[in-house]
Amino acid sequence: MALSLEYVAKETSNNLRRNFLMTTGAILCVFVSLTIVGIALVLKAGVSRASVQWRHGVDMSIFMDPTAPPQETTAVRTQLQGEVGTDVRSFFYCTQACAYSEFKTMFANSPEFQESVSESDLPPSFRVVPTHPQLIEQVGDKYSNQPGVKSVVYAKDAIKGLLTVTHYAQVACVSLAVILLILAVMLIVNTIRMAIFSRRREVAVMKLVGATNWFIRIPFMVEGMVQGLLGAIAASIAVYLLRNVVYSLVGRNNILNNLVASTHDVIGTGIAILVVGVVVGAAGSAAAVSRFLDV
Amino acid sequence: MIRLDNVTKSYKNTTVALRDCTVDIAKGEFVFLVGPSGSGKSTFLRLLTKEESPESGHIWVAGKDINELSPWKVPFLRRNIGCVFQDFKLLPNKSVYENVAFALEVIGVTRAVVRNQVPQMLDLVGLGKKMDNLPHELSGGEQQRVCIARAFVNRPLILLADEPTGNLDPSTSEGIMRLLHRINRTGTTVVMATHDRGIVDRMRQRVIELDRGTVVRDQDRGVYGYG
Repeated sequence: MALSLEYVAKETSNNLRRNFLMTTGAILCVFVSLTIVGIALVLKAGVSRASVQWRHGVDMSIFMDPTAPPQETTAVRTQLQGEVGTDVRSFFYCTQACAYSEFKTMFANSPEFQESVSESDLPPSFRVVPTHPQLIEQVGDKYSNQPGVKSVVYAKDAIKGLLTVTHYAQVACVSLAVILLILAVMLIVNTIRMAIFSRRREVAVMKLVGATNWFIRIPFMVEGMVQGLLGAIAASIAVYLLRNVVYSLVGRNNILNNLVASTHDVIGTGIAILVVGVVVGAAGSAAAVSRFLDV
Repeated sequence: MIRLDNVTKSYKNTTVALRDCTVDIAKGEFVFLVGPSGSGKSTFLRLLTKEESPESGHIWVAGKDINELSPWKVPFLRRNIGCVFQDFKLLPNKSVYENVAFALEVIGVTRAVVRNQVPQMLDLVGLGKKMDNLPHELSGGEQQRVCIARAFVNRPLILLADEPTGNLDPSTSEGIMRLLHRINRTGTTVVMATHDRGIVDRMRQRVIELDRGTVVRDQDRGVYGYG
């Protein structure tokens, strides 16, 4: 099938212009829904970065002195192992290398801070998941005066609260976005249907003179994908700008700084948004083409 | 070139459009399809382009049994068949040139060929000087010539015409018939459904008469009817 790129580009841009209002509506709908998805994803990335130490239900960290001799570390480990099954559900040891990679994640937005600290400055730690979170301080007290232990730190209620709130916020955002995405698919179906209807004479002639079915379909399908893609590009830019606005409002080196997603996270989110946008556009136009274009 | 073998076609199982119809048309023939409205002439033509499928019987077009044709091959069947209509079916927002070029573009012909073929075709139908006009700026006869140019531009083996002179006055019709005859002389098989008694009687070609879906007469060098 000889279907030139030039032909598809010409047909698609003509269709998009002819149906300007409907096209704009569909693009805006994709844009709004994907911006919400993007905000949810970036928020999630920011929170999970700030709370990297407290993942997997860890409630207590026993920080060792970086200079503590190995036998002191082994003593703490042995004692913790003895409590597994009673007060301690599980624990793991985070080496200096592990601590450094966490540190880099947390301060991804402050490169100058990262440079001033090296791996050997950071304390290794035991991450403890207690059997009963309310008894955590009783467990911690036993270790705070052990030789080689620098300090015992507990997960603060604020962090736990933050994790819960952002979880519900994400669920709400994603539900809203899914509804809006369904609406976007419907709008794209309708736009393509109108494009097919406004060109029914041409389609009839094309069938008559023996144009292949794909030759007739492809410009309509590309039209839907372009709508999805344009909405997604706008949404990616919006998410990126929003994140920068928040970043500049928060200010550098502020403690909230850690909550702002890194550029890396934003780029990942942008790619996800573009993929979803193209998929939405393709789904809408495929549905329209198969239902309303009898070729 | 075209063969129908005991073909029956009815709509919604009540209206019988064609009943046990057997016809054989050789390459290069010029055939008139006559009969009153509703006798099955249009159905006959639509079966040949596979816009309709028969309930029973077989249809061969250009050596192929088109019942066996898979759907994706139908466009390639239609590239062998040009169609001319009573209402022309031109695209109103495209110029004469673009209307004819469109038929080539959508089957993937290169631009060089389009630029070469379209003016040549428009000269053949006598519209070489009106290439840039829009269809509504042309007379009925001229519009029909554009339609014929579009049907014939990719040199199909068969030309089907469904009452091509139905909307035209007698002298304009005469010109269209001369054009169709000329196309026929290039070796193209022409099948024309018509109500125009004068034309059929003058041309003296093969006449197939249908009545309520049945072939009632198949006559070489025939006339419109005895009645």
